[in-house]
Amino acid sequence: MRFGQTTRGWRTAIFVATASAVVVVASAAAADVASVIQTRQTHYKEIGKATKAIIDQLKSPTPAVPVIQAAAKQIDALAPEVPSWFPAGSGPTAGVKTQAKADIWAKPDEFKRDAAAFADAAHKLDIVAAGGDLSAIRTQAQALGQTCKTCHEAFRQRDD
Amino acid sequence: MTDKDAGSRPGRGVIIKVWDAPTRWIHGLIIVLIGLAWWTESHDEMDWHIRIGCALLGVVLFRLAWGVFGGRTARFSSFVRGPRTVLGYAAKLARGGASEDGVGHNPMGGWSVVALLGVMAAEVGVGLFCVDVDGLESGPLADRVSFQVGRMAAHWHTLLFDALLALIALHLCAIAFYAIVRRDNLIGPMLTGRKRLTATSSETVEAQPKSPIMFWLSAAVATGVAIWAGYGFKI
Repeated sequence: MRFGQTTRGWRTAIFVATASAVVVVASAAAADVASVIQTRQTHYKEIGKATKAIIDQLKSPTPAVPVIQAAAKQIDALAPEVPSWFPAGSGPTAGVKTQAKADIWAKPDEFKRDAAAFADAAHKLDIVAAGGDLSAIRTQAQALGQTCKTCHEAFRQRDD
Repeated sequence: MTDKDAGSRPGRGVIIKVWDAPTRWIHGLIIVLIGLAWWTESHDEMDWHIRIGCALLGVVLFRLAWGVFGGRTARFSSFVRGPRTVLGYAAKLARGGASEDGVGHNPMGGWSVVALLGVMAAEVGVGLFCVDVDGLESGPLADRVSFQVGRMAAHWHTLLFDALLALIALHLCAIAFYAIVRRDNLIGPMLTGRKRLTATSSETVEAQPKSPIMFWLSAAVATGVAIWAGYGFKI
């Protein structure tokens, strides 16, 4: 009788401990995924901001080439990192709001190819911007923009 | 309608002018341009979407000016009515009360116009500042705001479009209600400008604008702003 009660007590204790451990580990994992996604979004916003800075200058009647050069350099620095922002498990099943499509992990070769095209175009823009020729910058900025669109078309959930 | 008819009470069977030509053309332009703006956005034709938005800016500006200088039925002062009038009209509709031929917007429809124009003005106004997620496509005033503010504008642009669609749906339902339940065709007069009265109207009739000068002035300013917007408000 007494022995049985003790066993039940231990069982309860083990159950509570295991359940707590599962909850702790699960929330730690969720927090990890959340921070991965947050970092990814922060980086993409930096790229968007830099792109806008370039486009704003190109629309201006008097474009400031140094602004374009700084922004192009920033994009060139971030672009090669893109694949590293998408570790397995940081997709739509992460339980955190993200517009990253599952195809990023289902079609990794295509995703890496699109990311490489972006990094390549970003590097070219950095070089062209350093040259300072506005019409060349305009052409390469459009080429860069096309790589954003191509990848987003395939791998990013549309807004709204 | 000649001038001597103004102020008289037209009777049954009489054909009267209820909408002046600019009001009808602007209404038609709004339908076409909203359709095109919707289509171009969903097909990622953003250069065209922005041009159409600039045209809509001009159209909304003209309609607001026409609400002051236009023919009587186009003027805000003729169709923006107080809550008592609106509620009274709603109660009469609910009772299925006999229709008295109204000329111009009825008291509820007037507020529908205010809501439609207000949301449209907000939609094109916010649209000027929108930036897409890539920072590539942007409205004509987006270079005056940060990427973050531009993205916020884009968010509101989406929400306001949903609100606009809801108002348009309500507008179409009201037209269907008048056509089916009350046997009152609202589309014909909006196309031709004329309406045949089925009962004696208590309204005086004077849908024609008084001053052609204000028409040309409003049209010129609205067109100028639309074109200027198309060039990013740069000189």
